[in-house]
Order: sequence, then C-alpha cells, then structure tokens
Amino acid sequence: MTCEEFGRVLPELEGDHLNGEREEHLKTCLSCSGLVSDLNAISAEARLLVEDQEPSPRVWNCIAIALRQEGLIRDPEVPALLAGSRLRGWRLAWLRPVAIALVVGAALFLQLEHIPRGAPVARQAATSTPVLRTDGVGQDSAIDADEVQLLNLVASRAPAMRAGYESDLRAVNAYIRDAETSVRNNPNDGIAQQYLMNAYEQRAMVYEMAMKRALP
Amino acid sequence: MRPEKSDLTDARKSQGNRLTEAEAIERAKQGDEEAFEVLYRLHKRRVYSLCLRMTANTAAAEDLTQEAFLQLFRKIATFRGESAFSTWLHRMAVNVVLMQLRKKGLPLVSLEETMETEEESPKKEPGAEDIRLAGSINRLQLEQAIGDLPPGYRMVFLLHDVEGYEHNEIAEMVGCSIGNSKSQLHKARMKLRELLKTSRAEKATQP
Amino acid sequence: MEHRETLAKLVVAVLFAGTVVASAETRQEFRFKVHHRASVSVANQFGPIWVKPSSGEEVVVTAVLHSDKVEVDHTYSLNRVSITSHLLAGADADSGRVEYQVSVPADANVTLHSATGPLRAERLHGDVMLEGNTANVDVRDLIGGHVHIKTLNGPVTLTNVSDGHVEITSVGGDVALNSVNGPLVHVNSTSGRIVYDGDFGGGGEYSLMTHTGDIEATAPSYASIDVMASSTQGKVENDFLLQPTHTSLAAKAGNAFAGTMGKAASSVRLLSFSGKIHLKKR
Repeated sequence: MTCEEFGRVLPELEGDHLNGEREEHLKTCLSCSGLVSDLNAISAEARLLVEDQEPSPRVWNCIAIALRQEGLIRDPEVPALLAGSRLRGWRLAWLRPVAIALVVGAALFLQLEHIPRGAPVARQAATSTPVLRTDGVGQDSAIDADEVQLLNLVASRAPAMRAGYESDLRAVNAYIRDAETSVRNNPNDGIAQQYLMNAYEQRAMVYEMAMKRALP
Repeated sequence: MRPEKSDLTDARKSQGNRLTEAEAIERAKQGDEEAFEVLYRLHKRRVYSLCLRMTANTAAAEDLTQEAFLQLFRKIATFRGESAFSTWLHRMAVNVVLMQLRKKGLPLVSLEETMETEEESPKKEPGAEDIRLAGSINRLQLEQAIGDLPPGYRMVFLLHDVEGYEHNEIAEMVGCSIGNSKSQLHKARMKLRELLKTSRAEKATQP
Repeated sequence: MEHRETLAKLVVAVLFAGTVVASAETRQEFRFKVHHRASVSVANQFGPIWVKPSSGEEVVVTAVLHSDKVEVDHTYSLNRVSITSHLLAGADADSGRVEYQVSVPADANVTLHSATGPLRAERLHGDVMLEGNTANVDVRDLIGGHVHIKTLNGPVTLTNVSDGHVEITSVGGDVALNSVNGPLVHVNSTSGRIVYDGDFGGGGEYSLMTHTGDIEATAPSYASIDVMASSTQGKVENDFLLQPTHTSLAAKAGNAFAGTMGKAASSVRLLSFSGKIHLKKR
C-alpha cells in the first residue's frame, strides 16, 4: 500500500480497527503513522475542550421577560383552574392582549365615524380612547403593570431615558393592538400575521434595551 | 452519542440547597420562575460555548443561546424523561444554530468542500523536520485554529469531535451524506494539523 | 484701568476653566494582535464609536474619556476583543462620555452598543451589529458582511452596502438606504420613515415594513422586481407600469398595487399599516 492509497482511505477509517495492509503500512511508514498520531491527538484534545464561556446576564433577563410575556412563568396565586388548564404557553399569553384589544376595538368602533379617512388609527386611539384598566395602572391605557415596573427600573438608573422608553412602549403597543385586530379580522391574511410578528419583535427589542439600561 | 461532558448529573444539586435538575424540570412545567433559572444556570455554559464556537461571534452566540433556551422552555411540558434533559437541550441548541445559519444563507457545507477532490496524502520531504503534535497540543491554540477553519469544516468538526455526534446524526442535521460528513471531518482535522504546525513553527522562530 | 483689570481677570478665569476642562479629559490607546475573522465588541453608554479598517492584523482602540467618572475596561482572548465603558458613581451623560475610534481588520466581526452614539462603521466586510437608543447610525461601504441594526429612535443611514444580509429594526428612527443591495434586506419600523434609493438588485428579498411611517422607494426604470405594496389605512402611489401578477393581494386603487418589472429577479414588499407608500422612478 502506498501513502497515497492510505491517504485515500484514511477518512473512512475513523473508529475502525486498522487491519491488514493498512496496519502494515503504518508500521513501516513514519509519515503516515505520524499523520494518524497527530489527527488522533487533535481529536482527543478537542474532546477535552471545556465549556468555560459565560453569556452575559442580559441573556437570562431576556429569557425571563419572554417567558413572562408568553405566560410560561406563572405567579403562585394564579387560580388552579388556569394553572392546570390546557391553555398553555402562547395561548395563555394571548388572552390578556386579546381582551384588551377587544375592549379597545369596541371603543374604536364607536369612534370610527369621527376619524377622518386615512388618519393614523393607532395615534387616534391612544389619545381619544383612554380605557380604564382594572389592574390599578390608572390612566396609562397603553402600558400595563409589568411595563410600568420596567420603566421604574430604568428610571432608577437612567432617569432621563424613562420618557423615551415609555413613548416607545406606547408606540409598539399600539402597533400590536392594530396588528391583532387585523389578524382577528383576517385570520388567513399573511400580511396581517407578518405585521403582528413584527410588532412583537419591536416590543421585545424595547424590553431588551430597557432591561439593559436597568441593569447595573 | 458519547456520555455528556458535563459532570452535572440529575442527582446533583445545582447550587447549595437549591433544586435538583429533576425537581427543577417538574417545577418549570408548573411555571416556577426559579426552576427555569436553575435549569438555565445548569446548562448555560455548554449551550453558549457551543453557539460561540459555531458562530465565532459573542452577540450572535448570546442571541442563539437565548433562542435555544426559549424553545426548550416552551416545550418543557412535553419532556417525559426518555432521554437526558441535557441531551435534549443540546440537540435543540444545535438545531437553533443550524437554522440560523440556513436562514442567513450561509452554506453549512460549502460547494467546494462537497466536491470530490483527491485526498491529501502526507507529503514526503526527505530530510524535512517532522513536527509531531501528539502530547503537546496547546488548548488555546486549538481554539484559535478551530476559529480559523472554514465554516463547513468547523461545523462538522465541532459536531463530531467536540460535541460527540455520530456521522449519521451529523448528516441528518446538516443535510449531507455520511460520506460527506466523514470527508469534511478529515479535511477539518488536516487543516487544523496544518494550522497548529504553522503556529508552532512561528513560535519557534520568535526570539 | 479698573475695566482692564476686570477684563484681565475674566480672561484668566476663562483660560483656567478651559484648562481644567481640558485636563479632565484623558486619552487611552489599546492595541491587540488578532487573526483574521476576529470578533470586536465595543459597549459605550454615552458617546460615539467610529470603526474603520486597519492596515494589519491588529485592533487599535483610541478612547477619549471626558472625566474620571468613567473607565474603559477591556478583555482579550482567543481572537476576541471586548471594550466596555464602565460608569462610576455619579457619572452622567456628560461626565460618562467616551469617544472611541477603533481600527479593525476589514474581515473582523464588529458589535457596537451605544445609547447616544453616534455609531459609524465603514469599509468593512465582516458582520456588523449595531445597537443604539437615540444613536445616529451611519454605515457605509460594507461589502459581503451581514448588517444587523437595532435602534429605538436614532436615525439609520446605510450607503453602498451590498452582498450581505441587512436587517434593521427601528421603533421611531427614520431609515435611509442608499445603494443597498443584497440577498436579503429587511426593515421593520414602528413609526420611522423608510427611504430606499437603489436598484433592488442582486435577486434578493427586500421587505420594508412600518406601522405608521411612510415608505418612499426610488428605483431605476431597468429595475428587475416583483413588487407588492399595501397600506391598510394610507395611500399608495406607483410611478411604474407593472406587469400584473397572480396574487392574493386585492389590488385596491389607492391602497395597494402589485406587479413585475423586467425579469422580476428581486422580490420587493412595501408595507405600511397607516403610512403612505410611493414607488418612484428615478
């Protein structure tokens, strides 16, 4: 067996016992035996590579936010009915925003006759239909309690940025509301679904950046 | 697949008197935030290191780590313990990375690398110094050399030699033949050998 | 005489104050040897970051710190360089400001974070990821690398970017794309205006979507595109004569249009929920 022939079969030999002429060739050829030895050493060393790299704290924070948004993290006082129900994950997470969207949608419907054609619906809704929340947030119709908490965290470390984040959250929440309404009216509309995905992506980005500001 | 590299087992407690992995899994199914965090802390290094080696970019690796854990946590209710939790998570992380690379249009196995080429045979240079690597590979140099591999070679090398997947598993994940996977692996190792020898030769010439 | 003395004292006081201000600034330089495809990240809460290519396999970071209330931390291992501005107690947007100029090998992957910016990257062909709050983002002459930009309200301008994936997410910042082509160009905005001026080339997938912002796209008459534009609440305008296509999009006069030009090599989607859309001919 020549070195060239040995080189051709080498990729297939992994894990196989060397026998016959291959073994004989290695016994007599220093180059090929050196090559096999080196390749085995590289493979052996690779197995020892340790996982010593740590992601930044931001990663867990973003995961926790997403889990809360999707309803996968539940507070202990959630009623057993819901906790044990089949409504899990994203379906549970849809309940609250859908409920809010329905209320806002109903209020919008009543106002639509007074809105000039072509006017930005989202901006009109935010200013003309303040919906009283039952979670104690008061007049902040476009921001829920979790978001208020997030904004307060941001304010504690970067007070000048709070107003900007609040404005952004209102804008993306309005986007989500419009997109959810659109999906509900046209469930098979791919564009409506794309808007909704984009809107959620925007909110996730605002959350992520706000969390970074809130971290030391 | 070979045994897990991590020395954390299901029975071992994660930190002090906190939950074990098995307890954390059950509590996570109920929506317990601490349980999710325990599972994250147990496995974050392995997942992140995998993503980092595959992408060579810290920001991308963090995004992929986040996505892998999110996908896992969304499906945790379906985990029945048929396989080790870490195996399940690890496989998910690999799929997340591969999906991201596909989405970006990056070739998992490049066209050049899939073409049939003559295998490199060790060149005989009479009188040339033969630098052996066995027993003297520097881990940092190996990490650097892995980072310098072409993406397709790096992918198969990481999946096989670092993460312990078999060729049939790699072929299925990456979308190539088993023969291709073996060929890529061999070329990756040959390339690493070349890089490590070059690195050693450079160091030898430095004052 | 008294007047002159007062004036002299005033000049001295101003000079002294200037000296104090100037002397509070410090300049630091760091150099790191790297291999090709190095990863370089810079995180700077307040202040600009400007990245350009270096001549060799070296990362050179020059930082001007505005006060002693901020430090520059750096880590370097395995071909990765990470620079972070570390704010000390009492730092604010002014005292915590650091100005960075960074030179990297052209094939390095670069990640920049700054709340206020501006952020600027030019003449690179590695992947570039930029993130800012109100930072003005300016990217030019990037070929081959992927470009990912996230901003809340800072304006984004890309000029002469090609052959990579471009993904921009902006809440309120306007986005301007000049001569941007590639296999994938995605802009996702809430209220920012999107302006595109190019030829939609490369057989790519172009998607410009916004909630309330306007979209203005300018293309040449030889553009080869399969275009779809729709605004749920706003108006759409089209300067081209399009070949009709079979599409599920109900072409509503004034709200939507769809069709092809040339060989329809690239797919173009212009979608605004309530803003105006105008596809203009150059």
